[in-house]
Amino acid sequence: MDSTFALLMQGFAVAGTPENLMIALIGCFLGTIVGLLPGLGPINGVAILLPIAFAMKLPPESALILLCAVYAGCEYGGRISAILLNVPGDAGAVMTTLDGYPMARKGLAGPALSISAVASFVGAMVATLGIVLFAPILAEWAIAFGPAEYFVLMVLALCCLGGLVGDSLPKALIACLIGLLLSTVGIDSNSGVYRFTFEALHLQDGIPFIVIVIGLFAVSELMLMLQHARSGTEPMAITGRLMFNMKEFMLAKWTMLRCSLAGFFIGVLPGAGATIASAMCYASERRMAGKDSDFGKGDVRGVAAPEAANNASANGSLVPMLTLGVPGSGTTAVMMGALTLYNITPGPTLFQEQPAIVWGLIASLFIANVMLLALNIPLIRVFVKFLSIPNWLLVPGVAAISMVGVYAVHGNTFDLVLGTVIGGIGYILRVMNFPIAPFILGFVLGDMMEQNLRRALSISDGEIGVLFGSPIAIGLWVVAIAMLIGPRLMKMREKHGEEAVV
Amino acid sequence: MSERIFGGVLLLISIAGIWIARAFEAPFSYEPVGPRAFPMLILALLGICAVMLMLEKKSEATWPPAVVLQHIGALFLIVLVYAWLFDKLGFILATVLMVVPIARFFSGSWKQAVAGGVGLGVGLFILFDKLLDVALPTGLWLNNILG
Repeated sequence: MDSTFALLMQGFAVAGTPENLMIALIGCFLGTIVGLLPGLGPINGVAILLPIAFAMKLPPESALILLCAVYAGCEYGGRISAILLNVPGDAGAVMTTLDGYPMARKGLAGPALSISAVASFVGAMVATLGIVLFAPILAEWAIAFGPAEYFVLMVLALCCLGGLVGDSLPKALIACLIGLLLSTVGIDSNSGVYRFTFEALHLQDGIPFIVIVIGLFAVSELMLMLQHARSGTEPMAITGRLMFNMKEFMLAKWTMLRCSLAGFFIGVLPGAGATIASAMCYASERRMAGKDSDFGKGDVRGVAAPEAANNASANGSLVPMLTLGVPGSGTTAVMMGALTLYNITPGPTLFQEQPAIVWGLIASLFIANVMLLALNIPLIRVFVKFLSIPNWLLVPGVAAISMVGVYAVHGNTFDLVLGTVIGGIGYILRVMNFPIAPFILGFVLGDMMEQNLRRALSISDGEIGVLFGSPIAIGLWVVAIAMLIGPRLMKMREKHGEEAVV
Repeated sequence: MSERIFGGVLLLISIAGIWIARAFEAPFSYEPVGPRAFPMLILALLGICAVMLMLEKKSEATWPPAVVLQHIGALFLIVLVYAWLFDKLGFILATVLMVVPIARFFSGSWKQAVAGGVGLGVGLFILFDKLLDVALPTGLWLNNILG
């Protein structure tokens, strides 16, 4: 415990340099804007800024601080458009529209925004404390993992995401598998064999991570924005008081705390994420509030619950990425890709080998959230201005910035063309309701999975049994299968039950 | 219906992939699992899932109306051409040419589109190339003129 505190202080020393504070502030600001723009969420924000941070030759800890600040900022930004426009700025803010927009229509936009900012802050802080407490323990435990256990752990992560995301199991699995398949393109590092390169010089080193990310999360997003082009709805004006009053705060305080704790633990589980956490917490708070509450008609608790939960879970989902090297969500998969760009491999050893980076990142989460709270209450009117950026300027702007990022990293147009083509395919997949998060997770984990599988089988001299050899491995297999099938079985039974009642 | 077609395409891809992957053999090997096994495994699973997708009863893909789809196709082509001309025309000119038609798709007026194009092209060039030190191409044609 004592050493954890010392390490955290060391982290604050890293994150607290004037340069890194400035970077965090810029990240918070940009993140909030990206978050509040409907259509652009944390994953797009991180994906677009990642190559730019890399091209600016920021040192790894500063780049990570920037990305974390953007990530945290997006979670704050999503609520603004949810409350004022009735359009969630990112997926985690869907539930916030239910009570946030009614509050804004009653002329309570100010209190709705300020209470949700505080709820976001509480959620993020509780979760960051959770990271400080649990991450080192988990990392220590995971150090005992051999290649076989690692392989199964990655299968588990993919199964969790595949089981929970999207509406159809084959679609989620196909998305995983396409990601895994694309990760095998290029020269096999163990044997020097060319795989799926089709004699193209540029494919020898594999498909660059940034190309995939920009294609899937920027180019295809632009195409979807054209499809969903909304006729200009005007944001509600913020009139009257900005701050919530004591009565509203007292009503919401336990809600915030409960939802923060629940959100953190949901976030730690791979697969579940901000969307699921906020939906579950909203539903349970609504049930607890009883019949004569204002839920759905503009209850402060209905705004506080999903915001606390989605921020807590967004931070919680950093835990498996940092400690196990196995991200559990799309955005953390992109962040892990960012680490690998800097030749840093996340995982249990990261805590011992790169304490400055890990604890700098954790400390920057604390700092970023304080900044975000400070930015989001007084400056809310500034952020609201960004809601009126017209799409005719926003969409080509995003296209240009995305291309700048890809070009800056490798400096050739082959990558740009490849990214655009992947974006086109991504668009088709997304229209057909294929979830994209398993795709990117598969791509990020593919190489590690293959390496661990081959290492495990080398140790056992080709004996497949090694994959089921230890109690940990067997346990992970069982959970993986349960997570893959369980959620859908439950959904099916629920449906069946409903039909039987009718 | 589109799921069926896509499942069929995926099945073909997985079969073709397995056929290609047969050739992945290491000249000499000191490990029991070579470069072939993992891609083969993935492709086989992909084939199985493609069949599962084709057998799934519900079909949910709702494609936008044809007019919108044409616009989206055009948007894709514009970005593709933009990507291809990025270093040939240089960032500023290529960006202007990309922004104007896309801005028109999102119902910006001609005036807004041209102003937006020039603004984004020049503004982003100054921001990235000059201020943030992210090198951007100026374009072959400009280099030729400037010698």
